[in-house]
Amino acid sequence: MKSFDYLPAQKLEEAVARGEPRTSRFIAGGTLLVDLMRLDVERPDLVVDLNGVLSSDIAWNEAGLTLGALARNTDVAYDDTVRREFPVLSEAILAGASPQIRNLATTGGNLLQRTRCAYFRDAAVPACNKRKPGSGCAALEGYTRMHAILGVSERCIAAHPSDMAVALLALDAAVHTRRATGERQIPLGDLHTLPGTTPELETVLEPGEVITRVVVPRSPRGRRSTYLKVRDRASFAFALSSAAVALELEQGTIRSARVALGGVGVKPWRAAATEAALVGRPATSETYRAAAKLATSGAKTTPDNAFKVPLTERVVARALERAGALA
Amino acid sequence: MDLPHQRAGYAFCLAPAMFHVQTDALAAAWRAWLCGVGAPAVLIVAADGEWGTPDRRLLDGIRGELRALGAALVVVTEGRSFCFRPDVDRDEPVPERLATGAGMRALHGLYGVEAAAQVPFTLTLLDEHGAVRAQTSARAEGGLHATLLATLRSAVENTRADERVLFSRREVVLSSLTAALALSFAASCRPHAKPPSPGAPPAASTPSTAREILVTLVVNGETHQLELEPRVSLLDALRERLALTGTKKGCDHGQCGACTVLLDARRVNACLILAVMAQNKPITTIEGLSHGENLHPLQAAFVKEDALQCGYCTPGQIMSAAGLLREKRAHTDDEVRELMSGNICRCGAYVNIVRAIRSVQESGVPT
Ligand SMILES: Cc1cc2nc3c(=O)[nH]c(=O)nc-3n(C[C@H](O)[C@H](O)[C@H](O)COP(=O)(O)OP(=O)(O)OC[C@H]3O[C@@H](n4cnc5c(N)ncnc54)[C@H](O)[C@@H]3O)c2cc1C
Ligand code: SF4
Ligand code: FES
Ligand code: FES
Repeated sequence: MKSFDYLPAQKLEEAVARGEPRTSRFIAGGTLLVDLMRLDVERPDLVVDLNGVLSSDIAWNEAGLTLGALARNTDVAYDDTVRREFPVLSEAILAGASPQIRNLATTGGNLLQRTRCAYFRDAAVPACNKRKPGSGCAALEGYTRMHAILGVSERCIAAHPSDMAVALLALDAAVHTRRATGERQIPLGDLHTLPGTTPELETVLEPGEVITRVVVPRSPRGRRSTYLKVRDRASFAFALSSAAVALELEQGTIRSARVALGGVGVKPWRAAATEAALVGRPATSETYRAAAKLATSGAKTTPDNAFKVPLTERVVARALERAGALA
Repeated sequence: MDLPHQRAGYAFCLAPAMFHVQTDALAAAWRAWLCGVGAPAVLIVAADGEWGTPDRRLLDGIRGELRALGAALVVVTEGRSFCFRPDVDRDEPVPERLATGAGMRALHGLYGVEAAAQVPFTLTLLDEHGAVRAQTSARAEGGLHATLLATLRSAVENTRADERVLFSRREVVLSSLTAALALSFAASCRPHAKPPSPGAPPAASTPSTAREILVTLVVNGETHQLELEPRVSLLDALRERLALTGTKKGCDHGQCGACTVLLDARRVNACLILAVMAQNKPITTIEGLSHGENLHPLQAAFVKEDALQCGYCTPGQIMSAAGLLREKRAHTDDEVRELMSGNICRCGAYVNIVRAIRSVQESGVPT
């Protein structure tokens, strides 16, 4: 790890200003940044600590659920309101990382975690467009079992690793931020960008822009929601494929649905075709299975990760089944 | 094994006539020993007394840069010779028959060194096969330790791995170190503009350790004030500055749990935390878990249930279990397994680990 200076920000404006240069990085829980600095993938000159300037509160009111950007993953997952109103969020967080990491990891940091692409994380691999724009993509010639099948480009096929973000996407959450010119709200689906020709850009956030909180609106689907994650070992592993689903049922008919996918997309992925195929249909296994078939439409696979197409169809069907059966 | 001269096209060296063909047993033994070190190494051959007792800050800086490079340091003086690696608890002695200054110099072609009193030490860069990659005889103005730190630091600053097309991280590190040695050699060749007048403050040639800041850690009930660079992890601060080596380093990436401690009564990975960010919050390590000679119930249960084999993961397992007991969220074997999944045991002692934790839960003893 290269040496750097450390600034515990005292004011939000100070954090925004000092976080702006390309050579600065924010730190919250640190579980991503310290890891990547140790790998020499991140080499900031200044690390700006956000712990003194953001909230860790978890609040429930008319608007819905507000999570301070510093709310720790553990605290959100075990929060009584979260478990009651949005089980998918609690389940997604608990399906990720380990208890120790979840105790450190924050809401903002989790959303902004970076890909686990092994070529991205190995600073000695010369070709990685995300790490070094224009250098090529080692994964395209490499081993891609963990890589994305949805939203990929010729420049990058790295999967977004967050479980929590997938649940928040299925819950129509929005990210509130602060930047030099003021505050703004970004729907979660718009936060992350597609790699296209610029895989080094991962979100719409500007340099120095800080996530201050995440708001999850009240929803008729919230309580009937669940998260299903399939991985290479039973626990403490990133998703091969996962689904966050939320359903609104009325007398056996699906009135509205949200389906989001993890482990398969370059960003948390909304399965819009599946949602459309659910609405207005009877809440039955046949409906779920037919709709799940549409979840990966548009997929572009490699020989290593083509298995994710049938796997994801089954993951989505089973998650829908589970949500449909919730009391 | 390639002999140094066979790799000459690859190596670049700064002192003249560097490569000797040495085929004798000593050379073979030396290279075999370096292969055992298994990392690029900076070899220092210094006149007696030159290494001495380095200033704590310089030593910390050297340790930090070696860690950043993944490199080792081998120091050979007539008095004392050792190999230092940042993540190995104790310095390893260089085998006696290898560690003679004269032998070293002959081996690595450093002739004339003995005679030239104004060159009190040489820095040699060896790759993990023991081949010489670069060499410089520095007439260090700031002294050996400062020169070494400056050299290593410049190598780290310039290790932009992704800007070079090389096979491996080791090659990247070796090439950065080669460049840094060249720089330090060039610096040592600069003529003195003016000899420093006696009594004048020492020249600003000491590399900056200005990044060190005062950090207050509250560990096992004791408050410690340490001067640390911000990049120092809580794990390294505990092990290297507070000598609390019960907390282990397994992966250094949050993946194994060997470094688990309680921070503010919650279990966390000490390797993922910057020490500066753990200030003024109570930290409990395995050393603080027992009450004097009385083992904590978890420790006793691990012994009783034989919940370990090699024991390397055990402090982390126990600290993680201590966190799990406080959380009160695991009520079945399966829940214990799931909530202990952040702790990996290479020996596979899992069955008895779960049994030990369950036995403490069932005994109802306060923990
Ligand atoms: C071994 C291991 C296993 C893991 N497994 C999983 C898993 O299975 N599923 C999963 O989802 N995740 C997993 N993770 C990732 C983990 O969830 C993230 O590392 C964590 O959520 C990041 O949060 P943090 O607060 O520690 O981030 P930090 O490291 O503090 O920050 C992460 C990034 O976000 C930026 N940032 C942080 N907060 C803000 C803010 N408020 N505003 C603007 N920028 C900000 C930082 O600059 C940095 O670039 C794993 C991590 C490890 C180490
Ligand atoms: S998939 Fe993306 S992150 Fe991975 S090597 Fe290719 S460009 Fe880099
Ligand atoms: S050393 Fe910290 S988790 Fe492995
Ligand atoms: S006892 Fe050897 S690693 Fe666990």
